[in-house]
Amino acid sequence: MVERLTVSSSPHIRSENTTQKIMLDVVIALLPATIAAIFFFRSNAAILIALSIATALATELIIQKIRRHPVTINDFSAVITGLLLALNIPASAPWWIPVIGSAFAIGIVKQLFGGIGQNFMNPALAARIFLTLSFTGPMTGWIKPGADAVTGATPLSFVKGATALPANAPSLFDIGFGNIAGSMGETSAILLALGGLYLIYRGVISITIPGIFIGTVAIITFIYGQFDLQFMLYHVLSGGLFIGAIYMATDYASSPITKKGRIIFALGCGIITAMIRIFGAYNEGVGFAILLMNVAAPLIERFTSPRVFGEVNKQNA
Amino acid sequence: MKLGRIFSRGLVFDNPVFVQLLGMCPTLAVTNSAFNGLGMGLATTAVLLGSNFVISLIKGFIPSKIRIPAFIVVIATFVTVVGMLMNAYLPALYEALGIFIPLIVVNCLILARAEAFASKSSPFKSIVDGVGMGLGFTIALVILGIVREITGAGTVFGAAILGESFIPARVMAMPPGAFIALGLLLALFNRITSKELNEL
Amino acid sequence: MREVIKLGLILLLITSVAAFVLGITNDITQGVINARLEAENIKSIEALLPEADEFIMVEGVEGDIIVEVYEGFANGNVVGYTIKTTPNGYNGTVEVLVGVTKAGEIVGVKIGQNTETPGLGTKIADAAYINQYIGKDITQEFVVTKDNPTEDQQIQAVTSATVSSNAVVSGVNSAGSLFNDKLKNR
Repeated sequence: MVERLTVSSSPHIRSENTTQKIMLDVVIALLPATIAAIFFFRSNAAILIALSIATALATELIIQKIRRHPVTINDFSAVITGLLLALNIPASAPWWIPVIGSAFAIGIVKQLFGGIGQNFMNPALAARIFLTLSFTGPMTGWIKPGADAVTGATPLSFVKGATALPANAPSLFDIGFGNIAGSMGETSAILLALGGLYLIYRGVISITIPGIFIGTVAIITFIYGQFDLQFMLYHVLSGGLFIGAIYMATDYASSPITKKGRIIFALGCGIITAMIRIFGAYNEGVGFAILLMNVAAPLIERFTSPRVFGEVNKQNA
Repeated sequence: MKLGRIFSRGLVFDNPVFVQLLGMCPTLAVTNSAFNGLGMGLATTAVLLGSNFVISLIKGFIPSKIRIPAFIVVIATFVTVVGMLMNAYLPALYEALGIFIPLIVVNCLILARAEAFASKSSPFKSIVDGVGMGLGFTIALVILGIVREITGAGTVFGAAILGESFIPARVMAMPPGAFIALGLLLALFNRITSKELNEL
Repeated sequence: MREVIKLGLILLLITSVAAFVLGITNDITQGVINARLEAENIKSIEALLPEADEFIMVEGVEGDIIVEVYEGFANGNVVGYTIKTTPNGYNGTVEVLVGVTKAGEIVGVKIGQNTETPGLGTKIADAAYINQYIGKDITQEFVVTKDNPTEDQQIQAVTSATVSSNAVVSGVNSAGSLFNDKLKNR
């Protein structure tokens, strides 16, 4: 007799999505910005990106071997961490910066907390902060695009402490495409946004977090700049806002899963970013904002988790 | 319990930092250099030695109802004395340790030894226990200090050992570095001691 | 009731012994500590105003962020002043010590205790930043600039540490106005 019925426990319908597919989509989405980085900052950028990804993969492999866990370097998640970190450092950085950063991101932030899905912070971002605090010089040695490495001020340093745009600031067009001084990948806001649209189209991320995050920063800087549209666009398009809002704040493991939670999360990110940029001592606040909200994510989830059907409201009981 | 056992227990098997996780505040806060770790460890040892001895001497005299305030008064007295002596004769260390000297009073290690050991044991045994626990604490702080000083500044006890080309990761000398270094050291300590236990 | 009195008396006894011990220790150490603090203070102001060989504290000028002012003498004549100010930095107050001659020329600036960001804000203590003040007239109002200074009263800020740089400038400026208002015509 042929057995017709298979009896098994749920789930019965499986999504086509696997970790590998999702992560591959993110890599594809980051490609335009990566290519632009190599185009603008030449060979040193390519070397740093390659080193960063290679170290991320090697660290993942070594730690999983030591802990005798299944090796999961094929799922592209380590590639993304390496790539994101590389895009977060200046093109003038020495070779050991991405190596130490990737090893820290994968080794300490990701694997020590249990590997993929268990990290409580975005690994690439935590590594960026680690590097910035440790090696302030090399991590802020921003250079202008081109073969000759001329140090240049970042767009954010032009608007720091100002409520209007100074005359000598670079044009908005250059900022949009990334033809300015800054970390390798955070400069080309338009290409990063293009990748973001692809991710939203593929259903990998929802627009909630990046939309609200960027929107909040836009509104606050618009009001603070006394309704100067150019000043607002300057804040929105420069610095790490796009790469942070689209690729880091949307990290599955370290952002809330509830819809309401995501709104609060993104609002918090936007407010903290704008506050640090306007009132803080640092020019950029995206990194700190996302990490702080990462830490707050479990709390946000606790207060926004939907009620289980049939559960009695405790206050009425 | 034999004296050797009492001593080695504090030093390794019941190490206040690596096993009991007591006194985390000074452990994390002052270990940005090996010298500060050593100073804090020895200051704590001095206080622990004194308080253990005095408390075991007067244990019959203190009614159990007021033993905690009595212990705290004894401990606070020793801490203040150590603080004054340091300020007078070791000013550099006094300034480096700052607020953490008066805070030795609330180091739970000292009250824990008073309550768990000195108030039930002879003065001599209490001294041995105090020295053992104190040195265990000191060793842990010095190890943590060395690790953080090498990675965070490229020096050990202020002497540069890694050459000019070494660029230290400054974050290791800052508060986050304390947590990272302590976590990794705890893991290492657990690995070593669990292996030894398995072989027994 | 009798127990409460008994417990209280025991605690009183313990605390009295403790107080006695502390009193003795304090007696022994206080002199050493005071002597050391005074020596340190004199040493730091001597470096600011090397001309002078004797210092006397100026009373009644403290205020706002001015903490301490010493008048420096050489062979019995006033040669200058050292002014300690504590302006607000990026992370708490910054001790800024200024040495100025009787004519109003800045001869020494020193950054004392501060809790600025290591590696960024602490660069205000570096010679590269401090030496910008040396030789200048203290009575002018200094301003911080991010570009290369073109005028005498402009001070180039330490990169990425504008707040800390501003703190030093405001310390020197308030020392300057004190000099102008009270010290110059003493």
